[in-house]
Amino acid sequence: MMRAERETKAGFEPKILGFLCNWCSYAGADLAGVSRIQYAPNVRVIRTMCSARVNPIFILKALTSGIDGVLVLGCHPGECHYMKGNYYTRRRVTAVKHLLKNIGLEPERVRLEWVSASEGKRFADTVDEFTKTIKGLGPNPLRVTK
Amino acid sequence: MKEKVYGGGLVQSIAAAILKAGLVDEVLAFVTGLDGRDIIPAFITSEDEAQRITTASYNPCSLAKLLHKYGDQHKKIGVVVRSCDARAIIELAKRHQINLDNIYMIGRECYGVANINEDVSGALHIFFDRIEVDGKEQKWEEKMLRPNCLRCEYPIPTMADVSVSIDNNSVKAFTEKGKQILAAANIAESEGATDDLTAVKERASKYQERDFGELTKMEPEERLNYWLSQFDKCIKCYGCRDACPICYCKDCTLEPEHMLVKGAQLPPEKVFHLTRLIHVAPGCVNCGQCEAACPAGIPISKLYHQLYKELSSIFRYESGFDVNVPPPLDTITDEELTLGGVTID
Repeated sequence: MMRAERETKAGFEPKILGFLCNWCSYAGADLAGVSRIQYAPNVRVIRTMCSARVNPIFILKALTSGIDGVLVLGCHPGECHYMKGNYYTRRRVTAVKHLLKNIGLEPERVRLEWVSASEGKRFADTVDEFTKTIKGLGPNPLRVTK
Repeated sequence: MKEKVYGGGLVQSIAAAILKAGLVDEVLAFVTGLDGRDIIPAFITSEDEAQRITTASYNPCSLAKLLHKYGDQHKKIGVVVRSCDARAIIELAKRHQINLDNIYMIGRECYGVANINEDVSGALHIFFDRIEVDGKEQKWEEKMLRPNCLRCEYPIPTMADVSVSIDNNSVKAFTEKGKQILAAANIAESEGATDDLTAVKERASKYQERDFGELTKMEPEERLNYWLSQFDKCIKCYGCRDACPICYCKDCTLEPEHMLVKGAQLPPEKVFHLTRLIHVAPGCVNCGQCEAACPAGIPISKLYHQLYKELSSIFRYESGFDVNVPPPLDTITDEELTLGGVTID
């Protein structure tokens, strides 16, 4: 509880896990890097070959292990390297959000966004904005009770 | 003591007739045990044995699960099903676990099964508005039924091949195989109006509103604490997984060697419950076997049914009706291909 008390909403630095699609969002993040765009350092990135590789269990495992927010980034609809992967992701993330709502966690802790390889700025903005949202929500209650 | 025969013995005579006609090699059904009291599942191979099939309102295990686990896929098998069993069989078939061509589903009407926590001595039969114990009529009480049965909207297994009424002696065939079954049994399909299910549906939605309402009314924090305290009761017996007809994987991701959940740890990590929830809930058939199997008394079926109901309306998917409709998370619709946003609801 010591840690939780120290982490009041104001001085709270969230841990965010990002699943980035190899073909779009990971390249987008790369572009943000080489363009020297500043963005929140809270996100830890895992590269997946497609956003559809993100099993809903990965998201749940992250949240139950104390991650404060999970960001899933994929290609824009119609631009998936594997034709339809991101449409499946959309369904899965929808299901996970409803699951979280039903057990009493904020569904906003999981976010799906489309970021293409040329959208370095959009990647940085998405991370910044998501970090702000999670800061507003406070630490993941599953972490505090652990 | 001889058990009172319900439904004019139609279930038993149909099972005997299709065995005799060679339409099926065996019939899977609940039969009365040798002491005349127990209800046990059995594969029946002879006509005489078919008389042992019971219509009592007990559902100790999922017949769909048994069919998947022990059924010989090269044999033609008849199954005496409730609507939840029939839906589970169809869900398994669409996941390529059961060959539906070899399965003949003899549906039986069901208005709920007995809650094993209630002590009843004698053969219990549950009807829509009354309960009979050893043929003696009793008042309908909600505590006698499993909680999931109170929320059930499907008393008549319209997804099976034939449906037999337990209250009056009517029979309906829904498929080509159903007509074959009735022809083999030499029974004419009952004429007349379709059953009026308004009262059942009304009662089901009343109980759904009550059960889900008390959860949705809670503040998120309160709801989280409620479920966490429920999950803390878990002794990780894997009873819910083993009883669930939709949990069919031979190699389960919840086993410790998959390193998703730690082996020797009680109560298990929360991801244990959430993993099963996300796997099963989109195709949940609300059979309630998980909750009945749980030794810790966690109201699991409520959680699963609630999520199923929500996802069902978003994905416009009803589990266990059409074998040609794939599971919701394994498919996308043409309409979705035109949507550009990150949500579909």
